[in-house]
Amino acid sequence: MAEPSLELVDVRYRYHAGAEVLRGVTFSVAAGERVGLVGPNGAGKSTLLLAIAGFLPAEGRIRVAGHTLNRSTARDVRRHLGIVFQDPDDQLFMPRVGEDVAFGPLTMGLAPDEVRARTAEALEAVGLAGFDDRSPYHLSQGEKQRAALATVLAMRPQILALDEPTAGLDPRARRRLIALLQNLTTTMLVVGHDLDLILEVCGRAILLDRGQVAADGPAAEMLRDGALLESHGLELPLSVAGRG
Amino acid sequence: MMLDHFAAGRTPVHRLDPVAKTLASLVLILATVLVRRDHLLPFALVAAALVCYFAIGRIPVVYAAKRVLIVSPFVLAVVVLFPFFEPGHRLWAVHVGPWVLSVSDVGLARAAHLGSKFVLCALTTLGLLATTPFHGVLEGLARLRVPRAFVIQLAFLYRYLWVLLDELMRMRRARAARDGGLGPWSLRFRSHAGVVGVLFLRTYDRAERIYWAMAARGFDGRLPAPPTQRMTFKDAVFLCGVAALAAAVLTLDRVAYG
Repeated sequence: MAEPSLELVDVRYRYHAGAEVLRGVTFSVAAGERVGLVGPNGAGKSTLLLAIAGFLPAEGRIRVAGHTLNRSTARDVRRHLGIVFQDPDDQLFMPRVGEDVAFGPLTMGLAPDEVRARTAEALEAVGLAGFDDRSPYHLSQGEKQRAALATVLAMRPQILALDEPTAGLDPRARRRLIALLQNLTTTMLVVGHDLDLILEVCGRAILLDRGQVAADGPAAEMLRDGALLESHGLELPLSVAGRG
Repeated sequence: MMLDHFAAGRTPVHRLDPVAKTLASLVLILATVLVRRDHLLPFALVAAALVCYFAIGRIPVVYAAKRVLIVSPFVLAVVVLFPFFEPGHRLWAVHVGPWVLSVSDVGLARAAHLGSKFVLCALTTLGLLATTPFHGVLEGLARLRVPRAFVIQLAFLYRYLWVLLDELMRMRRARAARDGGLGPWSLRFRSHAGVVGVLFLRTYDRAERIYWAMAARGFDGRLPAPPTQRMTFKDAVFLCGVAALAAAVLTLDRVAYG
């Protein structure tokens, strides 16, 4: 079997003098796989995402796209890992959308023509062609979220990590984002409470609670297991509950 | 209203290279400031040039006037006081109770001089900002070798000032929804302090999240941005024209002044 895109072995993290947030997380994600990372508030989902990107000095072993994460490889690792943070206002920091999408490719040292091509391609992919000169401040929440996705797609990462991608979106914007994610072939880690989204986009789900993996399996099975979800502070996705 | 509300225009002055416009603004401001005291002819020359520039750029007069008014309080206070405090020939006097406020000719001339300088410099700056998108100004500054940290600061200020103000507005609304604007002043003062404190913490947190988002995409302290525009012949002609105007203003001032 080919090397997994993402591999975590006994990952632990503790905030300064605080409780242990990640208490030995182990799982791996195969290339092309789409995994939903679910769990109650405070389960450590966002912390885990930051640890994978090398922003937190976690213990244990993290391998991303064949690179073992440590202080000196963090930069390389982030080249292969595209993270879309929860608040698109944090993600979109340049004065114009086009510049923001070009930011990643430029820091990768790509030639200006290639940068332009990738910027146009990424904006096209998220349905924001022609938004280059717009100020992120003037976009709607849905547009911001898609622009944030474009900033990462332009880097063509091997793994896409999304933190609560549908937070604050209305049904139409959410539907659009789901369709967009379904069409991507990248390995994907989707973090969030939107279990319906995960059911639609991801084949596999990992349930994180109190810093540990509580369950790991096919999303279609796990997200229909009402008892399991409830015991971890979650409930059945609406699409499932409605049918029952 | 945004600072660069009309900056997306397509007129000849909009199309000029930001570097040329920035340099031209600096030259014109310098010439205006260097005009010696108390005669207005050189100012008229600058004003005429600015009127042409604004006309070509289709910047509405009302818009320009509003922008200048917004920054004027600082200067206005001084300008208004000048006629009363500068010694000279008394033109007329105002009686306020036991005091007599007299307006002098020298004071009035000086107020006009200072006022003109302020309005012209403000309009020159506005001329640059109103016909150049903000990212163009930033790019221009970067190409002029303004320290990178300063340019990045400006870029972030432009991007996040409104986000921050929105946040402040939401917090104030949330507070107003509960206190109804009443309550003892000490409590209100404390809640004001609380809002400022929380806003500071939130800003701090946001700064960290933005840094993560930047680092996640390879930020290493440099903002990579290939220049999108270069100085062309037209820009050089424009810049030379403004330089000639500045020279004319200064010559006129020196010759007329003696």
